[in-house]
Amino acid sequence: MHPTTLMYTSSLLLMFAVLLYPLLVTFTSLPLNNDWASSHAKTAVKSAFLISLAPLSLFLSTGMEAVTSSWTWMVTTTLDITLSFKFDHYSIIFIPIALYVTWSILEFATWYMHSDPLMNRFFKYLLTFLVAMLILVSANNLFQLFIGWEGVGIMSFLLIGWWHGRADANTAALQAVLYNRVGDIGLILGMAWLATNVNSWDIQQMFILSKNLDMTLPLLGLILAATGKSAQFGLHPWLPAAMEGPTPVSALLHSSTMVVAGIFLLIRMSPLMENNQTALTLCLCLGALTTMFTATCALTQNDIKKIVAFSTSSQLGLMMVTIGLNQPQLAFLHICTHAFFKAMLFLCSGSVIHSLNDEQDIRKMGGLHHLAPFTSSCLTVGSLALTGTPFLAGFFSKDAIIEALNTSHVNAWALTLTLIATSFTAIYSLRVIFFVTMGTPRFLPLSPINENNPAVINPLKRLAWGSIFGGLLVMLNINLFKTPVLTMPAELKLAALAVSILGLLTALELATLTSKQFKVTPLRTPHHFSTSLGFIPAIIHRQIPQLTLLLGQKIASQMVDQTWLEKTGPKAIANATTPLASATSNMQQGLIKTYLTLFLMTLVLVTLISAT
Amino acid sequence: MTPTHFTISSAFLLGMMGLAFHRTHLLSALLCLEAMMLALFIALSLWSLQLDATGCSTAPMLMLAFSACEASAGLALLVATARTHGTGHMQALNLLQC
Repeated sequence: MHPTTLMYTSSLLLMFAVLLYPLLVTFTSLPLNNDWASSHAKTAVKSAFLISLAPLSLFLSTGMEAVTSSWTWMVTTTLDITLSFKFDHYSIIFIPIALYVTWSILEFATWYMHSDPLMNRFFKYLLTFLVAMLILVSANNLFQLFIGWEGVGIMSFLLIGWWHGRADANTAALQAVLYNRVGDIGLILGMAWLATNVNSWDIQQMFILSKNLDMTLPLLGLILAATGKSAQFGLHPWLPAAMEGPTPVSALLHSSTMVVAGIFLLIRMSPLMENNQTALTLCLCLGALTTMFTATCALTQNDIKKIVAFSTSSQLGLMMVTIGLNQPQLAFLHICTHAFFKAMLFLCSGSVIHSLNDEQDIRKMGGLHHLAPFTSSCLTVGSLALTGTPFLAGFFSKDAIIEALNTSHVNAWALTLTLIATSFTAIYSLRVIFFVTMGTPRFLPLSPINENNPAVINPLKRLAWGSIFGGLLVMLNINLFKTPVLTMPAELKLAALAVSILGLLTALELATLTSKQFKVTPLRTPHHFSTSLGFIPAIIHRQIPQLTLLLGQKIASQMVDQTWLEKTGPKAIANATTPLASATSNMQQGLIKTYLTLFLMTLVLVTLISAT
Repeated sequence: MTPTHFTISSAFLLGMMGLAFHRTHLLSALLCLEAMMLALFIALSLWSLQLDATGCSTAPMLMLAFSACEASAGLALLVATARTHGTGHMQALNLLQC
């Protein structure tokens, strides 16, 4: 085996071993020591991150990619499935970033969850999730990817419902599973079509053999899978509801890692989509709709985690738009940079929430710029990176995407929506910063504001470095697959920046309007639309169960019980005969003498007539 | 109609007239019922003589047995009526009247 391939494979094997060892320790019956979470789990992820830097540096210097197939799982006459790992540009760059972010989140979670009696179980779940995510990212065939896909789905369910005594958390976890399931149908459809038509689930074989086939149906299946997993419009309500889980869960699963799995699938399968204009247009329009709708919903939310969740959803829509532009690598870049600043935004939210004694409403925060300066600074840096401030992390990916959008032959409606959503990003980011860090405090005086714990500060510091330099580092070291268009009119070049600044100024104006009153009665309809999330959860989550229950009632209760068994079956005889019997007995009044007299008259007449 | 036939029919009818028209006592109705039975007995006894049919010679005995049962049932009803309603008058039996 070539030494580079050997290095790649052995690093991955070592990473899995390092990550699985703490999990295996929990399966023995030895009691865990008190700081198992910090000494075993966090250290394992840190070591795995350092190990993953080796393949990264090798890849950056040689540019060599590898595919390793090892153990044969299943051999049938038509389909072979082997354990197969792909070390390409996407997985080698994503794995260190995911491990870095996870390391920071685990360290933060040792502080955030330290009063939870089941903290070790929490870390176990997070580690299991991480292993499943790594399986998904490094998979070379769709079967292995599906294993990782389902694994992250189940861990998401378990982690969202962590505080399962709370009914809302259980509902949210169920929502996540159901919406993901609908997406899984699409993935299975795609897998089944590919297994029957292209005869393989291996990525390389699929790409070669599908050159002349019409791939619309499996691509629609894969797009449905991405819609479910990455919360695109139509299957999006689970992502804001998933904020019921603890903040480390939101930071890891629902911002950086799990929700990008759908986009990652489409990036892996992008050679299949290159020539299919239907699929590309669908991705483009779906992504544009998602980013616009969720940014609109984020404008009027009052829960800090919900705002960040909608922000995630909006960025996922932007990644989908990029795939629709046939630029999978730019989408991947956005995944990488987004992981840094979104995880940091969530960790800052978690720090703020715990500092204010579990207060999540931004209307009850304020003035934290003076009281928690480090957290507010990180919040600001993260928000600036999110809006695409030049030369922070988000700029390199987001600006490249907007430039590609402006210079391609693209649907004007999708373009408009994406630009409006970019300006909305600036608006809600400013809203968060304004309400949380600026102004005067609106919370109770005795709040345990604490930034002294290194378990909080170090993760935020690391992610802040990542948010500032991450984009630059990635862009300096990779080669772009497709040549970007570098010359365009100045208006197009500055479009993203101009739109964001416009949004910022609008938001400043709107934020200062809270203490003034221009109109006697406010225009509330758009506000209601935005706050109620477009009324989609309120209608759909009630309507479908109500229709199902009505149908059940019609069939079981009314049709079978009432109609067949009562009206037309056994009781019909009773119901028909009773009126007859009562009518008859009502007619016979019991006038015996009259009846007998009549009878007698008849007989007398008969006798007399026959006597003559 | 032969005189025998006419006699027996009119005897039966007289008994039935009594059953139908008695107003007061249930015992009178039962006695008329017995008279009807007696007329039928005589009719059955003369049947085999008049029609030269020996096959139905046992019929009068059967008739008598059944009439005895019926009379005892009627008397038991009379006694029960006297016990529950206090009198033997027919007016007491008005449960079915509207």
